Parts: sequence; C-alpha cells; structure tokens
Amino acid sequence: MKEEDKGYVDIWGDNVKIKDLGISMILCIGLALGGYILAPDNSTQPLLFGLSGGVLGFIISSIIIKPKRNITKVKGDD
Amino acid sequence: MDMLIIIQMILASIGGAVLYTLIGIAPGTDETAVLAPVTIALALTGISPYVILAFFISAIVAKKLTDSIPVAIAGIPGGVMAAPMVEHAMVLKSYGLPDVSIKKMSSGSVIGTIISIPASFLIANLILPYADRISQYAGLIFFLGAVFLALMTKNKVLSLAIIIPFALLIQGLRHLYWGLDIIPDDSTVFISFFLGITIGPIAFKLFELLNKEYRSNQPRLGNKEITFKESEKEKGIPNPFKILTKKESATSALGSFIGSVTFFLSPVGMTVFLGEFLTRHVKDPVQRASRAISTMDGLTNASYISGTLIPLIAIGLPLSPMAIGPAAGLFNAPPVFTPEHNIHHLLSMGEIMTATIIGAVIALLITFYVTIKYASQICAFVFKYIPHEALIGLFAGLVVMLAYMDAGWLNIFGTILVALVSGLLHKNGVNYGVLFMILYAAPWLLGVLS
Repeated sequence: MKEEDKGYVDIWGDNVKIKDLGISMILCIGLALGGYILAPDNSTQPLLFGLSGGVLGFIISSIIIKPKRNITKVKGDD
Repeated sequence: MDMLIIIQMILASIGGAVLYTLIGIAPGTDETAVLAPVTIALALTGISPYVILAFFISAIVAKKLTDSIPVAIAGIPGGVMAAPMVEHAMVLKSYGLPDVSIKKMSSGSVIGTIISIPASFLIANLILPYADRISQYAGLIFFLGAVFLALMTKNKVLSLAIIIPFALLIQGLRHLYWGLDIIPDDSTVFISFFLGITIGPIAFKLFELLNKEYRSNQPRLGNKEITFKESEKEKGIPNPFKILTKKESATSALGSFIGSVTFFLSPVGMTVFLGEFLTRHVKDPVQRASRAISTMDGLTNASYISGTLIPLIAIGLPLSPMAIGPAAGLFNAPPVFTPEHNIHHLLSMGEIMTATIIGAVIALLITFYVTIKYASQICAFVFKYIPHEALIGLFAGLVVMLAYMDAGWLNIFGTILVALVSGLLHKNGVNYGVLFMILYAAPWLLGVLS
C-alpha cells in the first residue's frame, strides 16, 4: 500500500498533522480550563463546566479537522 | 430499600451504560479521566449512594466492553487498560479479523464480569476480619507490588532502580505544594500525577517533536490506510459462550479469578503478566492472539470490578489501584463522602450487592448487544468522523483541567514534569504498572527511608 508523503507524523498509533494537533490542543485545553475557571462559584459546577468545555472543544475539532485515514471496506468473505 | 430507589438505580444504570458505551469507543479515553470526575460530581450533587454505585458499576462494565473496539480496529488503546492488548489485536487485524477481536474481547469482558462479582464478595468476606491490619500495611503492600511488577518488566534493572527516584519526584512535588501553601496540609495531589503517568508516552513524543532535528528524522507519512472487513450480520441474541471456544472461556475465567484475587495490584501490570503467562504455550499466532485478548479483557474487567468492590465492602479505604483512581469518588468526595463516611459505611453488604448486580446486568444487556451487533458500523463512524487530533486534544484538555483543579497553575507544569519522566521511562521498558504502584507507595516509602 503506497502512502503518499504529506508530512504527517505517527503519534500514539495514528497519523497526525502537527498543525491540526496544535489547533485541537489549544481549543480543548482552552475551553476545558476556561470553563473550569470561569464557571460560577459553586462546589460542583466548575468541574461540569470544564468537562463540557473539553467536550465542546472536541466537537469543534472534529468538525474542522479531517481525519487522516483512507478507509477501504472489504466484504467479509475469504 | 424501596421501589423508588430501585427504579432510580435502574435509570442511572441505563444512563451510565449508554454514556460510557460512547465514551469507551472513543480511543484514548483514560478510565480515571472519564470516570472519576463524573462520579465525584454525582456524589457532590447529593444523589443517593445506591444510585451512584449502580451508575458507577454500569459505567465501568460498559466502558470496559467498548474500549476494546478501537484496539481491534486501529490498534489505538481505548484506555490505559487496553494498551497491553494492542499487540495481540494487531495480529488479528493483520489477518483481517478485527471483528473477531471485538467479539472475543467483549465476550471475555462478560466472563470477567460474571466471575468477578461473586469472587469479590467471597474475597471481601475472607479479608473482612483482617481489614484493620491490612489498612495499616497498605504502603508496604503497594511497595512490594511495585517490586513484583518491576521484576516482570522488560527492563528489570531500570524498573527497580527507578522506584526511589520516582517516589522522590512524586513526594517532592507534593511537599513543594504544601510548602508553598498551594494546597492545604491535609489534602494531597493524586489524580493529576496519575494522569501524568498515563499520558507520559504521548507527552514525551510531543516534546521530542519540538526538536527540529528529531522532526526531520521522523518518517513523513500520508493518510493512514485502514482496511476492514464488513462482518456478517449477527443474528439473534449473541451468546458469549458460543463466541469463545471452550479453552478461551476457561482461560479467561481463570484469568478473571486470579485478577480478582490480586485486586490490590496494578490491573495493567497483572494484565500484561497473566495475559502473556497464560497464553505463552499456544503456537498458532491467530489462536494465541485471540486467546490472549479474551483472557486480558476478562482480566481487566475482573480486576476493575473487584478492585472497586473488595475495598468498598471489606475496608472502606481505597486500597487498590482501581479504588484510588477511577473509583476514587465512591470513597472520597468531600464533603459528601470521606474515608470515615462513604459507601462502605452507608450501605450494607446486601445493598452493595443489589446495586452492583443491577448496574452490571443492565450494562451487559445494553452494551454487549450493541457492541457485537454494530461494532463495524460504530467503527466506520469513528474512523470517518473522529480525527485523532481531536482525541489527543480532548485528553490534553482534561488532564490540564484536572491538574489545575488539583493544585492550581503550578501543578499543570508539575504534571508535565511527571509525564515527561514517565514517558522517558516507559520508552525504556518500565511499564505503567510499576509507575502506578510507586505513585501509591511513595508516601510510605519515603516515610520509611527518611
């Protein structure tokens, strides 16, 4: 299988574009930490805001970043 | 226990199973990172402890069932616990059998759950009379666990040599935080160091990539080619005992039982050790790999459940790696739960059993069915729409937030430090299990040495 060179690197078992990873990390860290710090004062809420922020960052990253995978499906008979 | 509570437990279990079926599939979700904060948050909202326990059990069973999916399809661990299985799953994948991996692993999980619940109650009853004495020697037990696991790793000398230095790093940071009054004297930093170890390899790799010379020596890649077979539609209700061969069922049952007995040791370490040990004699690579993954999955599940239940029933202190990590919220979520007043003290053994069984049965019914029936559809979805970058980002976000929650800004850098050291050690053959055990043993060990 020929893999064309697009300058991706292998991190943790999958191919990643460093620039996209940077964008996603900034988004997720920013929103998670931001949510935690800016949440209204209450004993449980900062955690919930932080978690939601992280998930939001994840969703935005999933929309703006394309997965670097080519998927070939094979019918299951050998 | 009245009907209303039982209905609440059932609803919470359904919620836990659905939520963690989805979370489990996402590769790279660490058990502690996804379970501990949610359990702690639930406990703090003041929900009944019965409901929290049922939710938690359902969540771990569902999470353990589905975290095998990314391993089987892409060789990406769905959590720390799934990491040891990657090698074997890759063997099956290279023979074009990822759907077989998924079925075998999920069935192993089911066996692990079924074995470990009665085993946990049995073991808890056996150690109940000695509970007080055991909790006195927790530090020593963790230390011996670290030594034992160090002797099982690829790089024994380094693993042994690192025990004291790594304990110094952990305690050094804690004493620094106490000294600077960042955290009060009676609290400690745990979750973020735990996560630091977990993300060690990935953090280390990211820092290496900052070096231009290293970067230009890396192989440059294009899109990753993934081929997977669309599996035959499974008809009727899947039966785990039909999916596994007799030998596979037997080894995973044995592995699960041993995993329950060794509840106080690191689950990852035991999985690696027992999974390899019990399957080493099988020659055929495909058979060996499918035996190994069904055993390992059963074992991880069993050690998770027993690691939660045994300390919860018998001792009431988080005296297992599982209890101190993902299940921490059941033992300690001040001000609702404290080590002197938690689920152990609030619920009787029969009540703990009821909540556990409700949670486990519901998760098995929902998640096992979904996993087996729709594994290839779910995978296709995850591969097509979920970029790897987003997962690493989410993980990084959670770790940074939890580090900040533990001990403020400084601890974000402290956690990076722990992660870099762990990553370097991991790269040189020291496995997670040893590092986790040192983390648990550190306060006792340095207390003895000083």
